[in-house]
Amino acid sequence: MVGSTLPVVGGYLGSYATLGLLLLVGLVFFGVAFGANRLLRPARPASPEGKFATYECGLDPVGGDWAQAQIRYYVYAYLYVLFAVESVFLFPWAVIFDRPDFGMVTVVEMAVFVGVLALGILYAWRKRVLSWT
Amino acid sequence: MSDLQLPHINYAALAPMLILFGAACAGILIEAFVPRERRYPVQLGLSLAGVVAAGVAVITQAGTRTITAGGAIAVDGPTVFLQGAILALGLVALLFVGERSLEAGGPFVAQAALIAGSEPDRRQVVRPGATEVYPLMLFAIGGMELFVAANDLLTMFVALEVFSLPLYLMCALARRRRLLSQEAALKYFLLGSYSSGFFLFGIALIYGFAGRVDFAGIHAAALGSDRSNALLYGGLALLSIGLLFKAAAAPFHVWTPDVYQGAPTPVTGFMAACTKVAAFGALLRVLYVAFDRVSWDYRPVLGVVAILTMLVGAVFAVTQTDLKRLLAYSSIANAGYLLVGVLAMSKDGLSSSMFYLVAYGFTVLAAFGTLTLVRDADGEANHLSRWAGLGRRSPVFAAAFTFLLLAFAGIPLTSGFTSKFAVFAAALDDGQTWLVVAGVITSMVLAFPYLRVVVMMWLSEPAESTPTVSIPGVLTSTGLAIGVAATLVLGLVPAPLLDLSTKAAEFVR
Amino acid sequence: MSAGQVALVATLAVPAVGASVVAALPSRADRAARLVGTVAAAVTLVVSAALYRPGDGGWFSFGPNPPAIRPWHDLDVSWASGLDLRFHLGVDGISYPLVVLTALLTLLCCGYTLWHVPDPGRGRLLTALLLAIEVGILGTFLALDLVLFFVFFEVVLLPMYAVIAVWGGPDRRHAARKFVLYTLLGSVLLLVGVFTVVSAAGTGDIVALTAANPLSRGTQLAAFTLLALGLAVKAPLWPLHTWLPDAHTEAPTVGSVILAGVLLKMGTYGLIRVAVGVAPEGARWAAPVVGSLAVAAIIVGSLVCLAQRELKRLIAYSSVGHMGFVMLGIATLTATGLQAALIGNVAHGIITGLLFFLAGAVKDRAHTGLLDDLGGLRERAPGLAGVLGFAAIASLGLPGLAGFWGEAFAVVGSLRRGGPLWSTLAAIAALGGALTAAYFLRLLRRVSHGPASPVVAAMPAGLARPELASWGPLVLLALAVGLVPALVLGMAHDPVQALTEVVNR
Repeated sequence: MVGSTLPVVGGYLGSYATLGLLLLVGLVFFGVAFGANRLLRPARPASPEGKFATYECGLDPVGGDWAQAQIRYYVYAYLYVLFAVESVFLFPWAVIFDRPDFGMVTVVEMAVFVGVLALGILYAWRKRVLSWT
Repeated sequence: MSDLQLPHINYAALAPMLILFGAACAGILIEAFVPRERRYPVQLGLSLAGVVAAGVAVITQAGTRTITAGGAIAVDGPTVFLQGAILALGLVALLFVGERSLEAGGPFVAQAALIAGSEPDRRQVVRPGATEVYPLMLFAIGGMELFVAANDLLTMFVALEVFSLPLYLMCALARRRRLLSQEAALKYFLLGSYSSGFFLFGIALIYGFAGRVDFAGIHAAALGSDRSNALLYGGLALLSIGLLFKAAAAPFHVWTPDVYQGAPTPVTGFMAACTKVAAFGALLRVLYVAFDRVSWDYRPVLGVVAILTMLVGAVFAVTQTDLKRLLAYSSIANAGYLLVGVLAMSKDGLSSSMFYLVAYGFTVLAAFGTLTLVRDADGEANHLSRWAGLGRRSPVFAAAFTFLLLAFAGIPLTSGFTSKFAVFAAALDDGQTWLVVAGVITSMVLAFPYLRVVVMMWLSEPAESTPTVSIPGVLTSTGLAIGVAATLVLGLVPAPLLDLSTKAAEFVR
Repeated sequence: MSAGQVALVATLAVPAVGASVVAALPSRADRAARLVGTVAAAVTLVVSAALYRPGDGGWFSFGPNPPAIRPWHDLDVSWASGLDLRFHLGVDGISYPLVVLTALLTLLCCGYTLWHVPDPGRGRLLTALLLAIEVGILGTFLALDLVLFFVFFEVVLLPMYAVIAVWGGPDRRHAARKFVLYTLLGSVLLLVGVFTVVSAAGTGDIVALTAANPLSRGTQLAAFTLLALGLAVKAPLWPLHTWLPDAHTEAPTVGSVILAGVLLKMGTYGLIRVAVGVAPEGARWAAPVVGSLAVAAIIVGSLVCLAQRELKRLIAYSSVGHMGFVMLGIATLTATGLQAALIGNVAHGIITGLLFFLAGAVKDRAHTGLLDDLGGLRERAPGLAGVLGFAAIASLGLPGLAGFWGEAFAVVGSLRRGGPLWSTLAAIAALGGALTAAYFLRLLRRVSHGPASPVVAAMPAGLARPELASWGPLVLLALAVGLVPALVLGMAHDPVQALTEVVNR
């Protein structure tokens, strides 16, 4: 216990005192760091050309920064996530399905899992979500 | 890797959920391949058949006490009882959802997320016959079944998402007042995912504490672990926030009035009845199975939540002028009464809470069902002032609704009285007098908004613009009859169901 | 099931079925529906009268420690075993007179409704509600289980609210709301009290609770306070009475009759059977307070009556005073006092029921109830004035009529209790009795005597036959109970004796 090594913070509220001390240390650390930074750094109050541009060096930014993505992509994003997750499950399954006792049951189970996902694709296809209009 | 075992799976115990999920997948296939005009009867028939079949599968499990699927699922008394309750209530809700005679093409559209008022959205509003709601509903019911059976926190989280996501969508499917409906869905979705986040973070902390996520493991760790209790309490607090959000307990209730108001009324009824059963079922299991050893620590906190919930529900209900919002606040207050039963932390508390869930579920379903009948040219007329003098125009309807409101108010000889009596008695037996006093006082406060509606219907002069009460179709009439009859029977002869819930009230660990 | 048990169930089932049938009949069969309701009420009266079986209390009384409540008929079945709720009905000498009185007054009111339906019509609903109220009141009197008692106590509330709010006078909304607010408040206190007793004792059975008295002193004090407060609202005990004048004044005639005649008795009966029986130590502890409040009610009620200018309001306030006498009788906790409370209950039910019938008749004819506008009724309608005079004199407690016994015995009981407090209370109560005479004589002077006022001169003279039919039994009963008080006192003797033994154990 920290409380027992520091005589000032013993007793019932000892652990809270530890917490308070830690808080205080944190605050001091924060203050010292920022204060030192402010004292040591060079000050250039004027704002020269390019100071607030997106990239201060390298390429000049072209066009507005508020570009719109085509909303149709979200369906593809969904499908991608779906099958990414599926493959996360498929890999560990592929490592163990041929062990003794696992066999047919595991194959069927994974088939059901993939089947459910395929069902989603099927539904999306029938509802013409996949066609790029 | 060598100790990896294939988990044993008791398919009979899982059958209700498998049937429901299977039916839901079949529903998607129907949606994809059956011609539009023939989908409605097929979908409705499939859904009803699926729920009934699942019900049969649940009944065959009566008396089972087992943990299966590698410790992920527990099938015991409470599971079977609550699954049965969810299926029975879901069946009635399905009847209201399936009603098509009140509104051309039913009260639902196909796509939730089309921008309200845009060209495609206006097209889908006038096009009849969207049936997407049925598979969604089956998924939701299936998820709830899994939720009350989950035996570890991860399964519980998955189940939470499985039933929440369809509900978010269903909220946005209203044919009338599209913008309000979408607003409700978005609110529910944002706050719901926020609360899911809390739940997940709670799981993380509990795992940090116990090193396991199954309830028996947490139960063991609560006594023996040498980790910091802060992890345990923090995790439990976050878990509770996630569950209390679904149960609509204050201060996590703010979504309730808006969502209840905006969602299509049959869906609102479904949420008020079934979601409540699922949320409290899970809460009961978490508190009674996993955390019963620290009950002395969380009981005061949850007690305060219960009192706050009852107060908020009762006091705000008094000021409401919209019937759906009024019922929403009443549902919040009822969450408070249920918490009183939950906090009894005894066998009586468990059985009385389960009884309360069933009794309240039937009443609230019938109440929302009656709301769908009072209509004018713009759809349902839910403003209180519009109901003035309805007793003169349709006495039978008004009498039925009056009876339901009296049940909400807890007047004797209705299920409202017996269920409140049961939870309060259980809490008193356990020495939670402060909760009971608060409960009795708030239920008196809560009687006033209900009586105001009754007075409005019977004693006010009908205005020129009083909406008409539509003649309900077969489905709605059946649903209403079941709801009203259950309210009456559970008030007069509560013994059989009470005995059943008492017999079922034992968790497996 | 024995014949007595069947009768017990039938006493509740007949009006309940009658109410549903009457309500279900179509509105074009209004008159037929009212007739059906009246028949149901008549059958109820016959069945309830058939419950009479005074005796030695069966083999119970031979035991070494006979239970304090020995019902003549006893029906005890499980209602919801999970909650320990029992459907326990029974009738004995304390409840029997009230049961019959309730059945009689309901029959008279239903018969009266057959002849005259107050605005806005729909007499069949009024009849159905009267029968529903009857179920609640009879159930309250018959219940021998605390929770069942509460359930029936609650059943009365809403139908009565509807009767006042639909068929009442011009200010009916306000009066009905006040009635509901007060009564709900009382119910909550009562419910908390019931919960306290049930959770502390583990049973809600009134017989067992009265016999064994398992509660600790602290619980008894709390339970009695809660139960007595809840019941005092209904009774009503000053200063919780303010709902009563409004409700009685605005209610239609039949509503007022039921309210004053039997509804108030639920409070006093509950106090005797439930509060005193279950928490005797609490009753002993609180008796001085209850007694003082009761006497205050007598004096305040009388003084207010002296200044009243409206006929129905005056009668309503007179109820406050009369119920004060009843409460005083209970508060003494002596056999004499409890007997006085019981006969006072019955007498008040008969006489005030009659008075409200008469006040309704006067108001229907004169279209006003203001004493300033009435006068000279004796000349214009001697029959009506005669019955009014009889009822008023009976109510002020003339020896030989029903009202005398309750008031006199309450004072005697208080004197017998002894001590400076009770003697003082008895003296003040006697003074209140004199004030009662004063305001009733003032009422008669203003209404019956003097020259006929314009409204009185314009009203029809004769009495309709249905009116005579509904008043006649009450007049006869007032005479009979007055001349032979043993009618009520005889059958109540044993149970009251047993109860006082419990209290003074």
